[in-house]
Amino acid sequence: MASPRLLPRLLDGTTQRLVPWLLPLGIVLGWQAASSAGLVSTRFMPAPLDVIAAGWQLGRTGELWANLWISTLRALAGFAVGGGIGFALGLANGLSRASDRLTDTTVQMVRNVPHLSLIPLVILWFGIGEEAKLFLVALGVFFPVYANTLHGIRSVDPQLVEMGRVYGLSSWSLFIRVVLPGALPSIFVGLRYALGIMWLTLIVAETISASSGLGYMAMQAREFMLVDVVVLAIVIYAGLGKLADVLTRWLERTCLAWNPAYRTV
Amino acid sequence: MIATALRAHEAAAPGTAPVHKLADRPAKGPVRARTPEAAATGGLAVTVRDLSKSFDGHAVITGLDLHIPAGQFVAVVGRSGCGKSTLLRLILGLEQPSAGRVVLESEAVRPPPKRIMFQEPRLLPWAKVVDNVAVGLGETGTRAERRARALSALGEVGLSDKAANWPATLSGGQRQRVALARALVSRPGLLALDEPLGALDALTRIDMQAMIEGIWRAQGFTALLVTHDVAEAVAMADRILVVENGHIALDVKVEVPRPRRRGDPDLAALEGRILDHLLQNHAPA
Repeated sequence: MASPRLLPRLLDGTTQRLVPWLLPLGIVLGWQAASSAGLVSTRFMPAPLDVIAAGWQLGRTGELWANLWISTLRALAGFAVGGGIGFALGLANGLSRASDRLTDTTVQMVRNVPHLSLIPLVILWFGIGEEAKLFLVALGVFFPVYANTLHGIRSVDPQLVEMGRVYGLSSWSLFIRVVLPGALPSIFVGLRYALGIMWLTLIVAETISASSGLGYMAMQAREFMLVDVVVLAIVIYAGLGKLADVLTRWLERTCLAWNPAYRTV
Repeated sequence: MIATALRAHEAAAPGTAPVHKLADRPAKGPVRARTPEAAATGGLAVTVRDLSKSFDGHAVITGLDLHIPAGQFVAVVGRSGCGKSTLLRLILGLEQPSAGRVVLESEAVRPPPKRIMFQEPRLLPWAKVVDNVAVGLGETGTRAERRARALSALGEVGLSDKAANWPATLSGGQRQRVALARALVSRPGLLALDEPLGALDALTRIDMQAMIEGIWRAQGFTALLVTHDVAEAVAMADRILVVENGHIALDVKVEVPRPRRRGDPDLAALEGRILDHLLQNHAPA
């Protein structure tokens, strides 16, 4: 009974999956066509094939992987430190009024300072060492994680908390079974923002003050007018951004399977 | 046949209320046998003395006295804002009284817990149905024991096959049945029901009433049902309290034998009398 309809449905499924990639693919093809036809000067905008060639070249010498690796390490270290502190403080302020009174005003004040404006100060403090990058990434990641964790805890359904209390759950049990799962959707929102800010901060920091990493690679390429490498670096940023997004989506689908809004379509 | 034990609130001295023993219930019709473990649990007796509660200087309960013998099914009716929900929350200890006291007594060595079923199911959306029921057990016993008891409680409300579902996939009536299983899984001595069926459709409500009544008869806990539906109170309870302006205005025994038939003329007459009382004593402002 289902077999005559199976093929269209399969095709339909494949089409659904391909649709999001149509636009990027079209842009790349158009770009390549324009370059090949000589409409775009390769001095300013290399053809996609040139970018791929540059990637192949850098990949073979190992330069690309070394830079990618060091950037990833920096990003994750900064994320772990800033995200960890933000999460802990968000929990503390969401659960304890005293902690909230003490720290929230300060955090809100500091939050309005663009963290990248601290770059000159950070270079004075730490030079162009690893600490500078770690500090900036951690600072950038801290705020979205903090704010969304706090908001998540505050917005947990009070009726569920009352139910937990009435049913005699201990404070720890109440936290693990009611408060934390209730705050999780909001915490994931913070995670997504934080991942975006993590790359942004790192690339800016590496562009301005570093001697290795993707940002440094792009800056070096600019000095030698290697436009293809500059564009390659930008394409890699886009790829990393997409990767982070896919990972968060997967985490959300796994952890929030109970929520109809996150169920796999 | 109708009980006409009308007593003004002032005259209802605690302890003098006639005890409606479980054993006195007529055993005609398909009466469910009590399980041995349920018989061992028994209900909690509730005694309320000179209870008052005010919020921001506004008195909600004023000098209320009440005695509920263990195992009795009491319904509390009244207009919205009359203080019936506050009375229930005070008895359960969810609110602290401004004056007076509430005493819960049990003949058991280890008093059974008290449980409440809210108007909303209040299920944890991130826990499977069986884990939601296990919440009612707190941290007693091992995980496996809790799971087994939760599954058996789910069986009692006829939802064994939904154990591994997320609450979001259940209908409103099913969710409320899960909430009932969660309330019952710890074998409570007092089950408070705060308008738990108000949001359900009429047929589901009748099914749920029969289910709650059946489980109550099997387990023998004290039941305290707050409702605005007089027909529901009359159909389910041994005794009906009408609360007005923070005190008990009417205390009626329902002596219609169980199982009660919908549309029974005695029940209808009693319902009419209570409604008359509620409507008479409330002149529109």
